[in-house]
Amino acid sequence: MEFEPVIGVEIHVELKTKSKIFSGAPCTFGEEPNSQTVLFDWAFPGTLPILNKEAVSYAIKICTALRMKVDHTLYFDRKNYFYPDLPKGYQITQQFRPIGTDGEVVLQVGGKERRIGVEQAHLEEDTAKQVHLNDISLVNFNRCGTPLLEIVSRPDMRSGEEAMKYVEAIREIVTYLGVSDGKMENGSMRCDINISLRPKGTEKFGTKCECKNLNTIQNIRAAVDYEIQRQGRILSEGGAVEQETRRYDEAQKKTVLMRKKTDAVDYKYFREPNIVPIDLDDDFVYDAVHSMNKLPDAYRRELRQRGLDEYQIEELLKDRDFVLFYEGCLNLSVQSPTNLWNLLMVEILGYLNKAEKKLSDLPFTKEQLVELSDLLSQGKINSRQGKEVLQAMMEEGRDPLQVVKERGMEQISDDGEVEKVVAEVLAANAQSVADWKRGKDRALGYLVGQAMKLSKGKVNPSLAKEKILEKIGPCGSER
Amino acid sequence: MTKWMNKPISALHDLLVKGKVTPLDLVEDCIRGIEKDRCNSFEATCFDKARAEAKRITQVKEEEYLKGIPFLAKDNFSTKGVETTASSRILEGYVPLYDATAVSRLRRAGMILVAKTTMDELAMGGTGTTGHKGVTTNPYDATRIVGGSSCGSAAAVSQGIAPLALGSDTGDSVRKPASYSQTVGFKATWGRISRFGLFPFATSMDAVGFFTRNVKDASYVLTALSGRDKMDMSSSSRKRERYQNYVLEHRTLKRVGYFRHVLDSIQDETIRKSYLDLLHALSEKGYEVLAYDYPEALLDALYPTYMILSCAESTSNNANLDGIRFGPRPDGTPQTYAQYMTMARTSGFSDMIKRRFVIGGFSLLSANQEEMFNRAQKARRMIVDEMNRFFDSIDYLVLPASYSKPPHLDELTTAWSTKPDFLDNILTIGNFGGYPSLTLPLGVEDGLPFGINVTGRNFEDGYVLSLGGEIESIVQRCDIIAQEVK
Repeated sequence: MEFEPVIGVEIHVELKTKSKIFSGAPCTFGEEPNSQTVLFDWAFPGTLPILNKEAVSYAIKICTALRMKVDHTLYFDRKNYFYPDLPKGYQITQQFRPIGTDGEVVLQVGGKERRIGVEQAHLEEDTAKQVHLNDISLVNFNRCGTPLLEIVSRPDMRSGEEAMKYVEAIREIVTYLGVSDGKMENGSMRCDINISLRPKGTEKFGTKCECKNLNTIQNIRAAVDYEIQRQGRILSEGGAVEQETRRYDEAQKKTVLMRKKTDAVDYKYFREPNIVPIDLDDDFVYDAVHSMNKLPDAYRRELRQRGLDEYQIEELLKDRDFVLFYEGCLNLSVQSPTNLWNLLMVEILGYLNKAEKKLSDLPFTKEQLVELSDLLSQGKINSRQGKEVLQAMMEEGRDPLQVVKERGMEQISDDGEVEKVVAEVLAANAQSVADWKRGKDRALGYLVGQAMKLSKGKVNPSLAKEKILEKIGPCGSER
Repeated sequence: MTKWMNKPISALHDLLVKGKVTPLDLVEDCIRGIEKDRCNSFEATCFDKARAEAKRITQVKEEEYLKGIPFLAKDNFSTKGVETTASSRILEGYVPLYDATAVSRLRRAGMILVAKTTMDELAMGGTGTTGHKGVTTNPYDATRIVGGSSCGSAAAVSQGIAPLALGSDTGDSVRKPASYSQTVGFKATWGRISRFGLFPFATSMDAVGFFTRNVKDASYVLTALSGRDKMDMSSSSRKRERYQNYVLEHRTLKRVGYFRHVLDSIQDETIRKSYLDLLHALSEKGYEVLAYDYPEALLDALYPTYMILSCAESTSNNANLDGIRFGPRPDGTPQTYAQYMTMARTSGFSDMIKRRFVIGGFSLLSANQEEMFNRAQKARRMIVDEMNRFFDSIDYLVLPASYSKPPHLDELTTAWSTKPDFLDNILTIGNFGGYPSLTLPLGVEDGLPFGINVTGRNFEDGYVLSLGGEIESIVQRCDIIAQEVK
């Protein structure tokens, strides 16, 4: 029997607000344990939650980017359970009325468009962090209360690749919006994946397993693919998949059992009575939506129009800083976006990686880079010279025009000048001209080379070629 | 027993303004009263701090009504540097790092905190007998309860130990003990006074309240306590009012209502007669007195609705008390966090509290939530909707605040009645709807007091207090200090 995988993804996105979602303590990462807290974070008796507007605004941006309906009235609920990392004994979340519902993410998979439904997104608070040592467990409350947006997909994905692309798309959106670091490796974005199989062509869902501990994008694909195989084997052998929570073991490259889902905790949800429903001001929602950064798909459309190919676009989109830089250059009306791309994504990126520097460390302006790109596009300097100029710009902060001038690089593109050089070359190389006429096509390259040599490389090679051809006619004309 | 503290705030204020007493005199007098307390009214004290604060006050101006006057706070108000236990073992030794907003606002008005008062454990209970320090008795009769959960505050104000004590009211925890102690007990509209720093019992019904000995004092205290607090999102941003002006200017509304079924159900003849006399007197004074047929089924629903909702919220609200961050560490050697929490909570809470948590947790389980918690929510909605219909045509609900003499301690039982008397729970209407509600003395029977209760529309706290002032002038019972009858 052939099985169809059914995959749903839950993503917790840590919002990088200045302060926590229900207290004034700062949201930071890597500070001294328990130094980033106020009384509420410790659940001291009598302290109360105060909702952070910035977290709401960030959530609205994400929901809008995911094409969700945004609830203009906010409700919060309590999820009750005892755990050392949960000081109040309950988590404030949005169980019954999530801020966002019914959205979608559009993916390109195998050249085809796939629409993945997003069921809901809800705001909640993060827990504290536990550290288990040999004979003692410690709790760090710094993380306690960091705002999270949990984004729940519909079970619309069918492969490891789709799941991976879905997570990547969400990661890209939240980082482009600037509302989250979106780093899976340090937990600012965390994924749980539900996977089940069903006989192809049937509707009813099979028993699902939840997969955790997926701390890279690549692990998502690997874990899902492994799980599809594992469950498929069980079902083919006539067995039954058990409902389990599993984690991905990177070393073994497989999922391993964490716990069986036999007796699930009853979270006794009910409405958070300390926060009466909040009607969001229309202006507040408007401001959140209209201060959104441009999304990756918008960049994709624009860059395609500028003539970049898919590879170039995707490379550029990997880092929003590069996109912004590139966009800034385009706005200075650069002549060739492709030349600009080459400079930025080959030469500059290579240099920055090697020198361990950031884009913002570059000592030249966008205007200067555009000048350089245009010099190349106009054929005023050749690509080897272009690299040399860029080197001077990156390392010494030099102005490209000055470098070109100083080093006498400017190419001769004046018709009269070029013709003069060409005449000289043809006169001195009658043998080659004769060869050409007898059909030896290699002679043309040689003649252009001589023109370059004579002009010390300054003559515009394509112009020189054009002028030579004008004089010597087609190849093999006297054969 | 006390020289000054048996006087109301208004009288003490005059003495302070004229320089006839100093704040330190008052604090010392209050301390004397606390030391002679005969009801077991006190938890932690902060005498030295109070003396130091009193010494810093050199002058009291006419407009500084509350300045230089001592006050007490129920032990579920967070007080910086002063142990706060909510009369529960689970918080013994807990010294808060901050003041509740209610406390800091009284301090800002110049008042001086002298001690914390006993309560039913974690404010759950109506008898004043369940705190970790044992029974708090009625100042009129040590064999009877003073009621709870704000038992210590009621007993202290009644005995003349301080002219003001903060309390909290989730079901009737200020207004019932006020009735049993012949004091004025007021619960403001939900959201009028910040709950920041009040240890929560059932958030959606918890209200800061307080005891004074007359209505005018209460109105001044409300003015000082009310207003938006950025630390409590549920505190109202409505403008603060000068509530004393309602009382001083006799600004009242005119339609007074009562529930016919309640009147018919009163067994105690003295209470019934006093109640009827009062309604008659109000009518004589030009008030329109109207009967209302509040459905009996909703009256019978008050108790189960209250128990389910309050227990459900309380089990969640008190889940922070796990022995990890505050309160005593458990005895023994727990091996896991679950054991640690279980041991701390097992020894920290009394059986009554555990029973409430079990009921609350049970009603919230997903299997039971629809049948219990959600039904109770719907019942609450119906109770409030009906009350709002009442308020469409009537301005005040006036009811006896208690329907018998304060019960004898040996009459108490821990068994829970299957058919509770709705009269015992009628004041919970004020918490379901969040209404402002005031209890003040109505009369005595065999030397034991009973009170009358006035409830009004939300944020009409001023009108409720002003009708209280009218009743006070009819009944002529204010500024009373308890005389022990036996």
